[in-house]
Amino acid sequence: MTTMNMVQAINHTLDMKMSADDSVVLLGEDIGVDGGVFRVTEGLQKKYGQERVMDTPLVELGIVGAAIGMAINGLRPVPEIQFQDFIYTAFDQIINQMAKMRYRTAGRLPLPLVLRTPYGGGVRGGIYHSQSGESYFVHTAGLTVVTPSNPYDAKGLLSSSMDMNDPVIFMEPKRLYRAAKAEVPEEDYREEIGKAKLVHEGDKMTIITYGSMVPTVLSTVQKNNLDADVLDLRTLLPIDVDSIEASVKKTGRVMIVHEAPRTLGMGAEISALISERMIEYLYAPIIRVTGPDTPIPYRLEEYYLPNEKRIAEAAEKILNFR
Amino acid sequence: MTEMVNEQTERERHIRAYGAMILSRTLDRKIITAQRQGRVGFYTPSMGQEAGQIGLSMALDKDDLLFQYYRDVALMIHRGVPIETLINQVMGNKEDLAKGRQMPSHFLAEEQNFMSVQSPVATNLPLAVGAAYAVKYRKEDRIVVASFGEGSSSTPDFHAALNMAAVWNLPIIFFCENNGWAISLPVEKQTKVDIWKKAEAYGIKGLHADGNSIDDSYRVAKEAVEHVRSGKGPVLMEVRFFRMGPHSTSDDPTKYQTDIVKEGDERDPVVINERLFKEKGYLTDEVIERIKAESIRIVNEKFDACEKIEAPAPETMFQDVYEKMPWNISEEMEEIL
Repeated sequence: MTTMNMVQAINHTLDMKMSADDSVVLLGEDIGVDGGVFRVTEGLQKKYGQERVMDTPLVELGIVGAAIGMAINGLRPVPEIQFQDFIYTAFDQIINQMAKMRYRTAGRLPLPLVLRTPYGGGVRGGIYHSQSGESYFVHTAGLTVVTPSNPYDAKGLLSSSMDMNDPVIFMEPKRLYRAAKAEVPEEDYREEIGKAKLVHEGDKMTIITYGSMVPTVLSTVQKNNLDADVLDLRTLLPIDVDSIEASVKKTGRVMIVHEAPRTLGMGAEISALISERMIEYLYAPIIRVTGPDTPIPYRLEEYYLPNEKRIAEAAEKILNFR
Repeated sequence: MTEMVNEQTERERHIRAYGAMILSRTLDRKIITAQRQGRVGFYTPSMGQEAGQIGLSMALDKDDLLFQYYRDVALMIHRGVPIETLINQVMGNKEDLAKGRQMPSHFLAEEQNFMSVQSPVATNLPLAVGAAYAVKYRKEDRIVVASFGEGSSSTPDFHAALNMAAVWNLPIIFFCENNGWAISLPVEKQTKVDIWKKAEAYGIKGLHADGNSIDDSYRVAKEAVEHVRSGKGPVLMEVRFFRMGPHSTSDDPTKYQTDIVKEGDERDPVVINERLFKEKGYLTDEVIERIKAESIRIVNEKFDACEKIEAPAPETMFQDVYEKMPWNISEEMEEIL
């Protein structure tokens, strides 16, 4: 066992995969010589060469488009988009090429491709270095959307994503990159895609969250002694409805916490799933603690991001609902 | 002796090129007629673009990889794609390689190294760049071609692809099929510069050919292929010809186009190449008649047969979104079917 932060865990996983398989190549802006703006790919170009760790021209749609073509012709590319906020020029490539290639070729041209991108606030990045755009991708058939909340899962989920023969949007919560260290086994292991993890157990309510919000939810639960199940979704598409169902049927009270704006965020989909399948088990309305429907501001970031206070107040509200 | 053999092969090559042109034209005509009869939903004819496409095809090898667009029927036929593959796609029947998921003209022929056609123009160009990167990385003995219309030259994808391919010195030909029109927009409103000249700005080779001449297109395509195969980097090649049909069967070009090239016109590549090949002794009236009659017979026969093939089974709608069907799609399938 070694302790690693999330940056180290991802770097270690990419290293492992690259040493095992020549067809794995990385491409993105500043990922080679510079090791990436967050240093996630530090040292990999030195080890594997410029052919396998490419510093690309500054063009997101080109990075994504080229990665798709590489996957069509036998490689297993891992493109990086430096900040998720910059992904939108590549949106056409993601939605119209990447997500639909298997479907429109009836499985003849599958795309083994993992698109990594840091997302979310908490680093004073302002409106263009802080966005949480997961809903755009979760709304697209053909994509798988994954987000880890700790170093151990980062390795296990990235390994599983890179084993897949379908494109994965791997969203890395940048505020957690160096927030905590955890035990990460050196050996190979997998965390299953599409499976949530129960990270805290309780009987009175279910808090459903993922990515950057998991540590905040856990610290709130601990500080306030909340008798809560905390479910870390880990995969946002497909969503683990079975785990949600098991917990909600037990507790009857639901809070959903995410950083992304509320309207049509993950909370909306989760609420709908719960209403359709188990509304008769609920003792209280479902409550969402999310980022507001505004851009994420630079100076006032702390008002934007869901915090312990807002989560504790929401818990109070659903516990006392009658 | 060698000269005689060469002459013989030259003749055969030209007859094959002419045959592909006529078959493509005959198929176009058949599908347009069928569309008017309500037997086909939609189509984007390749009419007028046959010669340039065939010239390119003649210069390529079997293993070369193509990211084509939706107006490349002659190119596909010359490279050996069976016309059943094309007709099944247009019908969207259960024999279609993509299970009827795409509207007509969005062909796929993986066996002949044609990747899948998309609607958003020029988005195939960055893909071709990535595939060419893989060719170079894996040291494969082949090159990549991306084809597109002149309207595509305005897109960010065009710029991204040419720039990346140049920087990475990749084995790729960007084949611009300039038919003068992007639906209703004439080329002079699309760009101020000859498209092939844009190559210079990217530091790559730019070439252009008379797309109405099989021989000229072949001559230039050969130069492009040799350049690319010898590791000298990408080529932007432009062929110019006329869009003889509408953009698609849903479009009426008389609304915006006054000078439309009709079949039999002096600018029709069938007229031009037929005359030239006759002059050079590659073709006789008898061979021409036989090829034309045979093409009509084959197209009618195959079309009738493909038309009888039923639609894909409803459950296929839910397949191939992922390698393994996730629970949400299974549930939706159960609900709908």
